Amino acid sequence: MKSNLMIILGSVLALALQSARAQEVDDSGARAAAAERIAVGTCAACHGPRGHSYSPKFPVLAGQHATYLVTQLQGFRAQTRGDPDALGYMWGMAAPLDDSMITGLADYYAAQVPRHGPAGNPALLARGKSIYENGDAAQGVPPCAACHGADAAGTDTYPRLAGQHVQYLVKQLRSFQNNMRNVAVMHGVARGLQVADVEAVATYLQSLGP
Amino acid sequence: MKHKTWLSRLGELVVFLGIGLAAPLAHAVPSFARQTGMACEACHTVFPELTHFGRMFKANAYTLDNLKQVRDIDTAKQDMLSLSGLPPISVMIQASQTWLNSPLPDGTGAGHSQTSTTGFPQQLSIFYAGKVAPHVGAFVQLTYENDAGTIGIDNTDIRYANSFQLDHTNSLIYGVNVNNNPSVQDLWNSTPAWGFPYAGTNANVSPLAGTQIDGALAQDVAGISVYAMWNEALYAEVGAYRSAKQGVTNPLTGAAGPLDGTISNVINGAAPYGRVAYEYQWQRHDLEIGLYGANFKLYPGGGAPLSGPVNEFRDLAEDFQYQFIGDQHIFTLNGTRIHETMKLAASFAAVATDNLNDDLTTTRFTGTYYYRRKYGGSISHFATTGSTDAGLYPNGPAPGVITSANGSPDTRGWIIEANYLPWLNTKLTLQYTTYSRFNGGSSNYDGFGRSASANGSTYLLFWLNF
Repeated sequence: MKSNLMIILGSVLALALQSARAQEVDDSGARAAAAERIAVGTCAACHGPRGHSYSPKFPVLAGQHATYLVTQLQGFRAQTRGDPDALGYMWGMAAPLDDSMITGLADYYAAQVPRHGPAGNPALLARGKSIYENGDAAQGVPPCAACHGADAAGTDTYPRLAGQHVQYLVKQLRSFQNNMRNVAVMHGVARGLQVADVEAVATYLQSLGP
Repeated sequence: MKHKTWLSRLGELVVFLGIGLAAPLAHAVPSFARQTGMACEACHTVFPELTHFGRMFKANAYTLDNLKQVRDIDTAKQDMLSLSGLPPISVMIQASQTWLNSPLPDGTGAGHSQTSTTGFPQQLSIFYAGKVAPHVGAFVQLTYENDAGTIGIDNTDIRYANSFQLDHTNSLIYGVNVNNNPSVQDLWNSTPAWGFPYAGTNANVSPLAGTQIDGALAQDVAGISVYAMWNEALYAEVGAYRSAKQGVTNPLTGAAGPLDGTISNVINGAAPYGRVAYEYQWQRHDLEIGLYGANFKLYPGGGAPLSGPVNEFRDLAEDFQYQFIGDQHIFTLNGTRIHETMKLAASFAAVATDNLNDDLTTTRFTGTYYYRRKYGGSISHFATTGSTDAGLYPNGPAPGVITSANGSPDTRGWIIEANYLPWLNTKLTLQYTTYSRFNGGSSNYDGFGRSASANGSTYLLFWLNF
């Protein structure tokens, strides 16, 4: 009798677990579908189809790491990321997003295939590659590759930079320099970069890709 | 007395030709910014010119929002109500000063106007502009104008829109809209309702001739259209317009609307309207090319029965718009060419025109530049040419001013303006309009010694939206 009860309880527990797992799958599937609907129907107006934006005013999101995207969307929603385009565009766009949708959108863009951008001036590319890989001790700039990876594909902690628009990268580096985008690590890294070197490293990064 | 009769006849002619003396006006509204939480620059280069994102916001029925909503759902979790916690209300004030190149005769013909005049306000508008329900939005404008001295309905665009995904990349937006001005529902600034000039003096004379689709029927019609936009690039729309006269009653019965022949230019049945456009984006560039048109069959009315022969106006237009939107520099080039074929059976039978068939072509090209959305200017060339018809564009006794000595509608000139925006919702404009040809002539166009250049003006405008 006791063992029957155990079997019944065990079956009920197994069913409950199975149902919870199915629910998770359903929730995750529904979230992915809802996120894709928003990405295609709303975000694409600026960030382009599958996260490949046309205008360099808006960053490429295809292949960006989900953890980075979640942090940024949370920053927009909390109004803590303060560079001009964040205020003008993303504070409003991110305001109605709940945590589940933020995760869904981050997963959607992380799953898109990144591309490399057009190559630029060879001299700029060479200078940019040198700064990216080796830094510039004279300017107090450490190698970017130390965090963002040799191929600039980024990690869970640091964003992908490969294939990003030059103008977007330049604007972000300047925002780190003047603390409009208040990230202590990047302020320290970028502080010493001269204008021409900002352009060079951005040009090099745009040319990278899979 | 004789003069007054002449002037009043001239007034009727102006109504017949569908020419308002006021310049076309267009607006942008801060209630959209309050609703979306996004700055003006997301939707506008500089108001009222739209960016690609602004066009998508409009195509999606102005429904994107981040305000706290009053909501209701049914048991299937379907939205039954989604109403913004704050109503999307905006106010617009335009105050202006106009200096005429040459004074105008006054209403009695006995004197002349001053050479300058002040509009304070020239226009004062209240808007409901924003989301109404989950897929429904409205842009409704009520305007006081100093020339009319009354409050009336202005541009109105109420729409339902939805979208579905065709695949993982492509979307199709579709919708229905109801509006009161052909092309007010359009997404680009190359078509008449939202085209340049975005504001202008209402203290000067306008030329005799204009096509019907070019603002002649604004706020005087009701249209319904369906539209679809594939992948934010290919746009198509079809619709129809009927007359929806404002401030008009049957003098005998007091019933509202155009129920008798005292009203002018009443659409016979429904006038079809169509639009196709393709927009291509690359880097910071955005290019649109398109076609739009309508076919209006109008009873002249004005004392004649609203039955029998009609005047038919077939308007077909091409348009384009190129935008470069940089962080520092913004450049726009747009233009349109509207060709109108007229078959004036009703007016010809009433001996109000010399020809049964006439045509009219209007072209406009405008270039605009802004530096950091703060300092900028536009230069625009406009030209109208068409058949000579002394019945349609008549000569008359002094003062001529809005008559034509040779029966030609030909008019051309330039508008040059400089703008300063201390803030994104505040614009200071200095605009100069000059005519090299007016109602068919350069000098002595009216037969009474007035030259085309006399109708030029300088216009200072303070334009505030909040």
